[in-house]
Amino acid sequence: MSALTRDEAALRLDHEQTAPGPNRLMRAGWYLLLVTLMAAGGIAVLQRTVNGLAATNLTSTTPWGAWIAFYIYFVGLSAGAFLLSSLIYVFGMTRFEQVGRMALLTALVSMIVALVFVLIDLGRMERALSALVHFNWLSPLAWEMRFYLIYILLLAAEFWFAMRADLVRRAARSRLARWLSLGSRSTDTAQDHRMLRVLGTIGVPIAIFGVHGGTGTIFAIVKARGMWFSALTPIVFIVSALVSGTALLALLYILRQKALRRPVDSRMAADLGKLLGGFLLVDLGLLLYEYLVPLLSMAPHETEVLHVMMEGPYAWSFWILQLGIGMVAPAIILMTRLRESVPLTALAALMVVVGIVGVRFNIVVPPLVIPTLRGLPAGQYFPSAVEWWSSAGIIAMGLLLFSLAADLLPVDDDAHEIGGTAHD
Amino acid sequence: MTAAAPEPGSRKEPQWAMVIDLQKCIGCDTCTVSCKAENRTPPGISYNVVIAMELGEFPNTRRAYLPRPCMQCDSPPCAGVCPVGATYKGESGVVIIDHDRCIGCRYCIAACPYGARSFDFGEGYDEMIAYAEVQAPEYGVRRGPRWRGEAPIGTVRKCTFCLHRINRGEEPACVETCIGDARYFGDLNDPNSVVAKLASSPRAFRLREELGTQPRVIYLK
Repeated sequence: MSALTRDEAALRLDHEQTAPGPNRLMRAGWYLLLVTLMAAGGIAVLQRTVNGLAATNLTSTTPWGAWIAFYIYFVGLSAGAFLLSSLIYVFGMTRFEQVGRMALLTALVSMIVALVFVLIDLGRMERALSALVHFNWLSPLAWEMRFYLIYILLLAAEFWFAMRADLVRRAARSRLARWLSLGSRSTDTAQDHRMLRVLGTIGVPIAIFGVHGGTGTIFAIVKARGMWFSALTPIVFIVSALVSGTALLALLYILRQKALRRPVDSRMAADLGKLLGGFLLVDLGLLLYEYLVPLLSMAPHETEVLHVMMEGPYAWSFWILQLGIGMVAPAIILMTRLRESVPLTALAALMVVVGIVGVRFNIVVPPLVIPTLRGLPAGQYFPSAVEWWSSAGIIAMGLLLFSLAADLLPVDDDAHEIGGTAHD
Repeated sequence: MTAAAPEPGSRKEPQWAMVIDLQKCIGCDTCTVSCKAENRTPPGISYNVVIAMELGEFPNTRRAYLPRPCMQCDSPPCAGVCPVGATYKGESGVVIIDHDRCIGCRYCIAACPYGARSFDFGEGYDEMIAYAEVQAPEYGVRRGPRWRGEAPIGTVRKCTFCLHRINRGEEPACVETCIGDARYFGDLNDPNSVVAKLASSPRAFRLREELGTQPRVIYLK
């Protein structure tokens, strides 16, 4: 405990020296909110643990719901944020370097959140690790579990190399930094940059084909279900990962600068917005093909899914969340001169981050609502209170992890902040 | 180690299959009820359902029934997607779940084109005396009382052609109780068996054949 407070003290000192620190009251309020949400989520998770999946609104007809939607949502955020970090560390787009570590941290935390969602969705949670012992090479899910693990280790390593020099620099006054620096002494970053490039280069195919393309493949190979069984599914997953990851990063960057009362680099916000707008356009194009092909080929078991999505009980999720908030409105902001305003860029990013939840929900639920054989009962699904609260709690846990790491670790470049070595 | 072991492809085991004559099915649901009684399935789980359909437009309508057990596919999508290999095609052609290995991810339910798999949410018929005292006799595994935390609660369940009955030399419960004698059960590998003969009848068809799952349940139209 005392080590933590000392670290906090060191950190506070840090902020006093460098930038105007965050409002203490605001920070306390933020942590209080997260802890409250986690407590509420904890009660829901407890209910789920005691009562099993009966605490959910899932059925044998609709076996997957909100938790799986959130799982692929966070895998997407992670893969997207990571790919953005590799633009910096692998492809040398140094103008985004300010958000490089935050991108890695976001990717790491998102992945942990995603796995917690999968964990509580398992009927037999206590057997989660046995999934690593047994292996069915035909199952994309079996491959995914292993890819996720490799990817998390890789993210952690990359995050460490990105911070290493700053940890060493802080080691003298922070016990946490000394412990985390793992005994390294040098503050020379050339070696770190090489490692970042190597790890990032290994990570890019793992993130694209393993983590996110692979997650799409989980759905794409299910020939029994309309709208899943398509070679486009993994591609759509990858592109929407880029969309959601970029949006989250832009949002986090702007919000964090505001919360820490630091100036927002408006050029970088605009550049992130431009990138997001580009990804959004590609995503919209893919969406067009994804829906046009089944509609014009008149494939009944696919058009049935589209009917449920567009006119059925989940129409709100498609028209308002996915298309309106998630795609069209932010595209309008980002494609016009409106993107020059930082608050509007943040708004567009927020809309995408929220809207993609609808995208993920629409991927998971509507195809499961259509009965596989005509005459079998159709599914009906809306998340139960336990599912909502547990989801809120798990997301709060992710935000807490992120906030703690951002508070205690050199997520920003120390040297950059002091004004020593600007990168552009 | 030695060459004595039979080759997996040699199919020395009988290859179980079921033929359902739709002309004989009267939609009485006896198969559904006897299956529930035999396999002691909890609320919400029926291995064997009869889908009732109304075909045509009024006044030219007709009622049709389609009983649906597990198809015991020869290339089962459920077994392909299982991340831990808990569900697999057994030697005699029955698709089996290892309830002690299943992690309850329900990927197989999403992948089954016939809706033949159910998740065991742990519910029971509490109003029935001693319902929980005897667990389902699936695959001949005696699991004792149905208690929370014991398999198959929290795992996926399905029709097994009543493997425990087959192993005793009996027919599946649904076949034995079918009022219209609409069901036939036997060894597909035995050319003299009724199912082998009916399987090659011009009336024979299988469900969602376009998916290439090659079901072991053959219907006669």
